[in-house]
Amino acid sequence: MDISIQFKKGALELCVLVLIHQQARYGYELAQSVSEYIEVAEGALYPLLRRLVKEGYCMTYLQESSGGPPRKYYKLTPEGEVHMHRLVAEWNKFSIGVTRLIQKGIQP
Amino acid sequence: MTKNEFLSVMESHLTALPPEERDELMDDYKAHFAFGLQSGKTEEEIVTELGDPAELAKEVLGDRAEPKNEQPLYWFYGQEQKQAQGYAGQTGQGPETPLRRRIAWVSAALHTGLFFLNLVMIPLLIAFWSAGVGIAAGAASGILSPVLLLLDYLKDPVFYPAKAFASVALVGIGILLLLSSRYIFKGLLKLTLNYRGWNVRLMKGNVNRD
Repeated sequence: MDISIQFKKGALELCVLVLIHQQARYGYELAQSVSEYIEVAEGALYPLLRRLVKEGYCMTYLQESSGGPPRKYYKLTPEGEVHMHRLVAEWNKFSIGVTRLIQKGIQP
Repeated sequence: MTKNEFLSVMESHLTALPPEERDELMDDYKAHFAFGLQSGKTEEEIVTELGDPAELAKEVLGDRAEPKNEQPLYWFYGQEQKQAQGYAGQTGQGPETPLRRRIAWVSAALHTGLFFLNLVMIPLLIAFWSAGVGIAAGAASGILSPVLLLLDYLKDPVFYPAKAFASVALVGIGILLLLSSRYIFKGLLKLTLNYRGWNVRLMKGNVNRD
């Protein structure tokens, strides 16, 4: 499998958690917001969101929208908040480490 | 690819999911299309953004099959990696997944059900067969009754016409029983073989799906 797909798949959870942390969002809105920053198969969001709900990091509520199906909003739970902060810390540590490694390895 | 094509490919690849879970996911995608169309996109554009439905479905199922891969590997840093290894070590041969557990449960239920069904059905089949044997025995003795009459006559040489008439009647009944027992045995054989075949199919189908 394409290795960059694996990268994105892992990062997607973090991106989604941060975006929901900013404000409650519905699925389509989330897809648009993620796509602003990274190129990703938007369809992967829905299984991910279901998992986050199942693990208790997110909760959903429905809100009627004019002329469309009701919007399912996703909101971060307190556990989700903790989880997000942990992931962000890990991500930073990880990406700094990789960046340093690359700099050392490629630049003389 | 159109919206309907995307949805039908998705749904056909998600048949392994529990129905309520699959329906919820399908509703999510349908809503996504609705919002996309509302904001002026074409179906093709939305499908392109969503990605390949077969690939997405594979990931949905894959996430369920390998829960230890749910957390991307490169986030394991320090202690967490040890935890992950401990987890992988505990599970031994392949992870216990909800799907596999469900299949195992259904298979166990099927085996138990068949066991109890056979506990009733096998004695019932034996009873049917012995009824068949009884009818055949009746036919044989009816047809052989003149021989018995002859033996009786040799032992006590007095001719009773009533006995002779009874014997003739018994021969008639014996022939009728013989004719019917042929169909009875044919039917019993068919019933037994069909029942056996059904059992085997149920077991094999079960194994194939596993």
